[in-house]
Amino acid sequence: MSLINEKKDFKIIADLIPTKSSVIDVGCNDGSLLEFLKEEKDIDGRGMEIDQQKVQLCLSKGISVIEGDADLDLYDYPDNLFDYSILTYTLQATKSPKNVLSELVRISSKAIISFPNFGHWKIATSLLLKRKMPISEKLSYSWHETPNLHFCTINDFIDLCDEVGIRIEKQANLKTNKLNKFNGKNLLNSYFNEVGLFLVSKIKN
Amino acid sequence: MLGGFFLVKQMSENKIVELAKEQALVLDCGKSLKSIKTAYTTYGKLNATKDNAILICHALTGDQYVASKHPITKKEGWWSYIVGPEKPIDTNKFFVVCPNVIGGCMGSTGPKEVNSETGKEYGTDFPVITIADMVRAQKLLIDYLGIEKIFCVTGGSMGGMLVLEWLSKFPKMVHSAIPIATATNHSAQNIALNELARQSIMADPNWNSGNYYNSDNKPLKGLSVARMAAHISYLSKDALHSKFGRNLQDKNSLDYSFDADFQIESYLRHQGFTFVDRFDANSYLYITRAMDYFDVSSSNNGSLIESFKNTSSKVLCISFTSDWLYPTSENKKIVKVFNALGINVSFIEIETDGGHDSFLLEEPKLFEAMQGFIKSTYENL
Repeated sequence: MSLINEKKDFKIIADLIPTKSSVIDVGCNDGSLLEFLKEEKDIDGRGMEIDQQKVQLCLSKGISVIEGDADLDLYDYPDNLFDYSILTYTLQATKSPKNVLSELVRISSKAIISFPNFGHWKIATSLLLKRKMPISEKLSYSWHETPNLHFCTINDFIDLCDEVGIRIEKQANLKTNKLNKFNGKNLLNSYFNEVGLFLVSKIKN
Repeated sequence: MLGGFFLVKQMSENKIVELAKEQALVLDCGKSLKSIKTAYTTYGKLNATKDNAILICHALTGDQYVASKHPITKKEGWWSYIVGPEKPIDTNKFFVVCPNVIGGCMGSTGPKEVNSETGKEYGTDFPVITIADMVRAQKLLIDYLGIEKIFCVTGGSMGGMLVLEWLSKFPKMVHSAIPIATATNHSAQNIALNELARQSIMADPNWNSGNYYNSDNKPLKGLSVARMAAHISYLSKDALHSKFGRNLQDKNSLDYSFDADFQIESYLRHQGFTFVDRFDANSYLYITRAMDYFDVSSSNNGSLIESFKNTSSKVLCISFTSDWLYPTSENKKIVKVFNALGINVSFIEIETDGGHDSFLLEEPKLFEAMQGFIKSTYENL
């Protein structure tokens, strides 16, 4: 199942990436985002994908793809190899979101990260009122079969970035399809965005 | 009918060409070879722009009969599953070239061929060759065929080493490449297994220091044992277990003898016996030596980064989960270096219990990956 809303998310991500950038999409699925970015921004794209069936799909589309695991295989890339790394709806499924985040900003100048926001009001209400693990469009698995290991809210993500020395440059509002300059934590954001989508980079020492 | 006729027309007879007639080829060992014979097959047609050539590099005991009936064993070509009309290496579309390596025994210059200077077979007077020397000889053939840029170079095992050597030494001549189940150099374990094979050949009294071509007694037992040992390394423990287990061969109880009680013994003996009909013991020594000496970075002080810094080809690396001879970790080493250099590299690890030999088996995931990569790469040429 693809969590990504191709029309909306793809467009916003493309808006963040300058023409001819080199890009790695970690957890690239069937390669459609890379194809879109190739079309829109003439990027030099690479993919990493854990699911072999999807790796095969990427190969048949001419996308350079590594069968690999974000938790294990990002270490193989040298520093700053890419202009941009992209991680869409994968952070919550990694064993160590902290290490993955640090690796992404190590191998690329900037990283684009998106994840389902566990702080969204629908989710919060489900827990609060129904006392049941939430199931929604973005979180469609039952608790016992979910591949997601580490849920976080937008505010948790902001804290983690702080902790590992990552600067948040922009935050997307997927409701209005707008990219905003990041102005710190905002409770409304965490309540009303189903998805967090951020442009981040490493704070240089 | 028409399709069948077309197929026959495209099927290649074995050809032999003599190259380096004027200028001898200088080998890594310092010696040189002149008038090098290369036996090869081709399939399909080279197009007008000459951009559809695929070079297939065979493994240790492979040969040029990649997709046509073997003249000795009468078996289908060793990669008929992958090479042919509508297959990943589509002979309707591509011009496929498969040469027998030098040092081999199917018609290319090697220890069993006659040295024109002495009028006798080379035997162990044949110079010790390397993977790089084999590639130099292949380049002579590619030049002779008028191909400036090969669309794709591919091969498994030793064939994969040749692919890596092509990418390193003639990067501008290679548009894309698929090295399969291979390594950038031979590990101590790889060398040990090859040494075991060589020692078994040389321990056969019929080997006679490599002079046996005119004798009725050839080192068949030594070569057969060498093949048996190697064959074990091509299979996985699970595959051996599921195929043979501890099953007995045509009997219900143990014989308390040294006959082939177990099916696996009988199978290995059969592998050994049939192998000697089509392979030369001295060639086995020379080619295994070339593999042991192989280190694609040796001419760059061990730096893989330096060795591939001029490579701009599109590459697909393939490994198999149960391959313990050239395991995934070795193949990933290649991917890591290519990634670091920004080379367009893809990687896929195919899950199978087929062991190292998986690239020669009918493995649908291998078929799919190669077809996807080759087709899309040619479309985007």
